[in-house]
Amino acid sequence: MENLLEIRGLRKSFAIRSGVFRKITGYVNAIDDVDLDVYPNETLGLVGESGCGKTTMAKIILALEKPDAGNVVFNGADIHAAKGQTLAQIRRGIQVIFQDPFGSLNPRKRISSIISEPMIIHKTGSRKQRILRCAELLNMVGLSEDMLGRYPHEFSGGQRQRICIARALAVNPRLLICDEPVSALDVSIQAQVINLLVDLQKELELSYIFISHDLSVIGYISHRIAVMYRGQIVELADAEALFDNPLHPYTRCLMAAVPEPVPGLKSKMDGLIPDVDEIESSPRGCAYSSLCPLREEVCMQERPGLVEKESRHYVACHMHALFTGS
Amino acid sequence: MNNTNKVEIQNQKKDLFREAEDLLVIQDLHTHFFTPDGVLRALDGVDLSLPKGRALGLVGESGCGKTVLALSILRLIPDPPGRIVKGKIIFEGVDLLGLDEQAIRDIRGNKISMIFQEPMTSLNPVFTIGSQIAEVVLLHQRHRAATKKQALDVAVNMLKMVGIASPESRINDYPHQLSGGMCQRVMIAMALACRPSLMIADEPTTALDVTTQAQILCLMKDLRDEIDTSILLVTHDLGVVAQSCHEVAVMYTGNIVENASVEDIFSSPLHPYTKGLLRAIPRIDARKRGESLQAIPGNVPTLKDIPKGCSFNNRCPEVMDICRGEYPPVFRPKAGHMVRCWRYVN
Repeated sequence: MENLLEIRGLRKSFAIRSGVFRKITGYVNAIDDVDLDVYPNETLGLVGESGCGKTTMAKIILALEKPDAGNVVFNGADIHAAKGQTLAQIRRGIQVIFQDPFGSLNPRKRISSIISEPMIIHKTGSRKQRILRCAELLNMVGLSEDMLGRYPHEFSGGQRQRICIARALAVNPRLLICDEPVSALDVSIQAQVINLLVDLQKELELSYIFISHDLSVIGYISHRIAVMYRGQIVELADAEALFDNPLHPYTRCLMAAVPEPVPGLKSKMDGLIPDVDEIESSPRGCAYSSLCPLREEVCMQERPGLVEKESRHYVACHMHALFTGS
Repeated sequence: MNNTNKVEIQNQKKDLFREAEDLLVIQDLHTHFFTPDGVLRALDGVDLSLPKGRALGLVGESGCGKTVLALSILRLIPDPPGRIVKGKIIFEGVDLLGLDEQAIRDIRGNKISMIFQEPMTSLNPVFTIGSQIAEVVLLHQRHRAATKKQALDVAVNMLKMVGIASPESRINDYPHQLSGGMCQRVMIAMALACRPSLMIADEPTTALDVTTQAQILCLMKDLRDEIDTSILLVTHDLGVVAQSCHEVAVMYTGNIVENASVEDIFSSPLHPYTKGLLRAIPRIDARKRGESLQAIPGNVPTLKDIPKGCSFNNRCPEVMDICRGEYPPVFRPKAGHMVRCWRYVN
């Protein structure tokens, strides 16, 4: 399969500054040696806790941040080496939907100018064509075209997120990065937006990178899922395989922690959820070693790499030999 | 026949028994906000009771009045623009709405305490966590701690109770030195410092990661048993409710539309809104079975334009003519199961 997006050896760290003179006192590794592929017409779920580097990853793919090392290749072109026309082409191909539908729409602009802005930037169509396209897009996301003259404050959260989706689709992207697109919405509205995204994918043959901290949403929408922990991908597998047979101890812990909407179901997390507040992992070893119930000496000494444990099921753990196939 | 009768009588007995043991009873509560655009009926006739030592989950979507209800119980509604215009809140046999300012202050933080959603912003950044916990005790329970030093000892014990390591040194920390989960533990310690009989938790885990959330829920469950506190848990997450509550009240546009035990709500929901909410939760294995998510059509109406009749009638898949005319009263199709829906008129 031809890859739409290829990420190789990506690293990004941020300096921690403290004191009066803002001296650099250390570094946080937001992305720590990540390899990842996105195939055409698929949804790749990216899941992890806050601060694990999900959003930094999105920013790097969108060429909003420069990585320290590694490269991101979209459709055969290196995103961070590209300039001018090529970069514009790439940016046109990758669009984004943000988490907060209240903060990501300019309150002073009408819906028509919000949605046509990407088309103006990328110089597509005449003024008339753009207005027609806006109406078409609004219909596509389930809103009516007579809303074009309204302002964002006249819409509810779910409707605003639909407008954000319409704006992202305005320039016919190939890849849509959805950074927590439904976590600010109510359950009933969340389901509407998820269904819309699924339908649009079939219709327009889009690829999604779907970022969320919510495992059930990720599990529902994704074809493949990457679990991130402290800037690293610790497990990568097809959605079914990941949920049927989670291999990494961190993935298991995450899954056990999701409160199931079934009363009386005894929580499965006994012994799995460590005291997260005591964090002091060794810099050389596995990032999860300080919390891991399976920890051995080698975990403190050496960083495990992603290993293909089963077909298309990768895990970064020294102890993977312990896991028997289901 | 005989058997069902027996069960019914037992259920009735249980109901009677429960009524006697209710810690908090809310009757026909109306909280309105008087704005230039008109009167917003944030709470419109809420009836609710919370038995002693139980946990009640209050669920609903944003804007349905969950937080207003929580604040009304403590009489913390900002006035103006808000006012409790009608109703009763009976707590341990006393109507809270009849108390004067001094008397309600003795109850706030002492007998009824509250935990808010944002642990980081609800702690004061310029005081140490120890002195913030000690303050509650010094304010309300002088008999337990006469001096600041004794109060700090209480604080240390509380921190130990909520599972914070080395509490003796932690009491000197400031909120910014703690993680989100730790801050929420401190908030819980503060809320429980006076051993209240009711703890209101308004979305206590929404801002936290799932693993931290699991720990905090587990902690709240243990503490409830340990110091016999009833919990009113306000949340939008049905998973959290299923895992940590005995009873559930579902709210929609300022009213409770269904109230039953957690088993009944999840196994046999009656109100179309509750059914819709349960179907809208993405389940991990649903996609494998090829099910698509069933969303509730439309949006939650704002308080300004609530439809006439049943407020859910414009989104309801089972809507009937009568629903457009009149707001449904309380029906009890089963003992201990309350629902406001015309479907259950018999």
